[in-house]
Amino acid sequence: MLKRLADQTLYEILEVPPDASSRDIAEAVERARALYGPGSIATYTLMSSEEASLLTRRIEEAQSTLLDPDARRRYDDLLGDRSGAANAETSEADAGAQGSPPARVLPLVPQPDREEALREAEASAEESWPLRPGHVAGASAPTSPPPAAEPPPLPARPPPIPLRREVSGPSMTPVPLPSVAQAAPEPIPLVAAAGPGGAPAPDATAWTGEVLRRLREARGITLPQLSERIKVTRHHIENIEGDRFGLLPAPVYLRGILLSMARELRLDGQKVARSYLERVAAATAGPGAPRPR
Amino acid sequence: MGDVPTLKLVRTVPEPEPAHRPAGPRPDAIRARRIVAVGGGKGGIGKSLISANLGIELARRRRRVVLVDADLGGANLHTTLGLDVPKRTLSDFIERRVPRIDDVVTPTGIENLGLVSGALDHLDAANPPYAQKMRLLRHIQQLDVDYAILDLGAGTHTNVLDFFLVADHGVLVLVPEPTAVENAYRFVKAAFWRRMRNVAQVYGYEALLRTVMAGGNFRSPVELVTTVSQRDPEAGANLARQLAAFRPRLVVNEARTPQDADVGKAVVAAWRKYFGLEMDYLGFIPYDDEMWRTLRARRPLLVERPDVRAAKAFAGIADALVALDLAARHEA
Repeated sequence: MLKRLADQTLYEILEVPPDASSRDIAEAVERARALYGPGSIATYTLMSSEEASLLTRRIEEAQSTLLDPDARRRYDDLLGDRSGAANAETSEADAGAQGSPPARVLPLVPQPDREEALREAEASAEESWPLRPGHVAGASAPTSPPPAAEPPPLPARPPPIPLRREVSGPSMTPVPLPSVAQAAPEPIPLVAAAGPGGAPAPDATAWTGEVLRRLREARGITLPQLSERIKVTRHHIENIEGDRFGLLPAPVYLRGILLSMARELRLDGQKVARSYLERVAAATAGPGAPRPR
Repeated sequence: MGDVPTLKLVRTVPEPEPAHRPAGPRPDAIRARRIVAVGGGKGGIGKSLISANLGIELARRRRRVVLVDADLGGANLHTTLGLDVPKRTLSDFIERRVPRIDDVVTPTGIENLGLVSGALDHLDAANPPYAQKMRLLRHIQQLDVDYAILDLGAGTHTNVLDFFLVADHGVLVLVPEPTAVENAYRFVKAAFWRRMRNVAQVYGYEALLRTVMAGGNFRSPVELVTTVSQRDPEAGANLARQLAAFRPRLVVNEARTPQDADVGKAVVAAWRKYFGLEMDYLGFIPYDDEMWRTLRARRPLLVERPDVRAAKAFAGIADALVALDLAARHEA
């Protein structure tokens, strides 16, 4: 039962059975992100930053591999081969050879396969998702067909992050989001997210401080009122709304504040906190660097 | 090699090859009573309140319970029960003014519930010499009760860790705040490494473990077991088996939001994912103003306000503990 993070299969990473449905897997990815993502209280001081980023990478890997039917089939085939080999090893051990160390099964995704999957996914992203960061200048809210599949996670991309909006998010509908895009300091493209046709598209709304501020104003809540209600000093809220990442408290505290703010604004706190913390992590650590704890 | 007190105090899981078990007494063989140790690293997270109320809950189920205030430097369990400082305390036992720990058990006014009050009058009581601590633990194990509940102090002093490790149920209390989480992990990791060393000592591969640990900076036990296995497969297999028996029981206190209630599950999942080890989640206690109100009135919550949600949560926690005991008895 003892297995290192790097040795766990993608199914074990998500803690789902190998025959889990895409829907279960998408939910497990969400759950895993909420559990182990930036600012998670449950992992605070438990993992080193390298381990935390390894876990994040493996969750991303699970998302891109297991939610793509072709990539998943290839991965399952590979896993089948491995577990066959592992079974042989086990029966050998049962026969009396206790020599093999307990934690040696390596169901790691082999690099070539993974890179291939990534390349493929990226290629499809190029076709159907024209608003990648980098070529957004002048792009107005697009009416182009929604992406067929969720593009792969792009951990190395710096912000700006494209702002996408759930078509069916009832809690968000009264908010004048288009004006957010207009008034935002940098051009934030708005993309209508794909409905759950085929691969489920996780909610990828970028919850910037600006969006939170506008939502708060739209709900007619003043800064002092919010501060009073969630018992957080006003300048933290101002710094969050101003995206002044350098002045924010440590992620664990920040997460708590974001959850409270989201609750007051009647938003999904987990999604808001995750989105915001990912942006903070990307902005403060730079691409690829270990996240601050 | 392993000295006798350590042999007596490390709970070990049975070895498949009895030839490798060192000769000595088998402390767990006849003991049906259970020791519950309530710890958590940080102060002010409700260890004493949880000990007292869990004790009341179990006593009401007709279990004979003794609460032991093992917070030797800061004993206050009597206050949570609304008692004055008892005439006889642990220091009478530690300093051998009475021969048996039973002699310092004070009635609490609650049927089936006794209290061993902490040592209050003795400056050195917080850090008893090793032999005194061993004697105390031995006598606690021999108390004629169904449950002995030890209320531990804060911090990760070896005295606290040893009380935690000797217990059948090491209860880890956590409040969903970063400071408490940080201290809880520090506490449970310190307990873990101490248990690891004790086990290696008992089974006679302490030198190997020390060599291996000196050779690398191990963050997780999984890596350590792998390395030990490479040097000595048998020792590695033993280590892996013994470590699986390290299963803290988790209680989340002062849960204020629905997310807080999920923190317990998240901690168990993270612990398994990162440490490769298990915890048993006993449940959470919702934050309740009655908790501090009853404390200020020096009345136990379960006596004064059994109707509030926080009080009812103790039933679930007791259920979970009893279920674990039943499962353990079933296995044995």
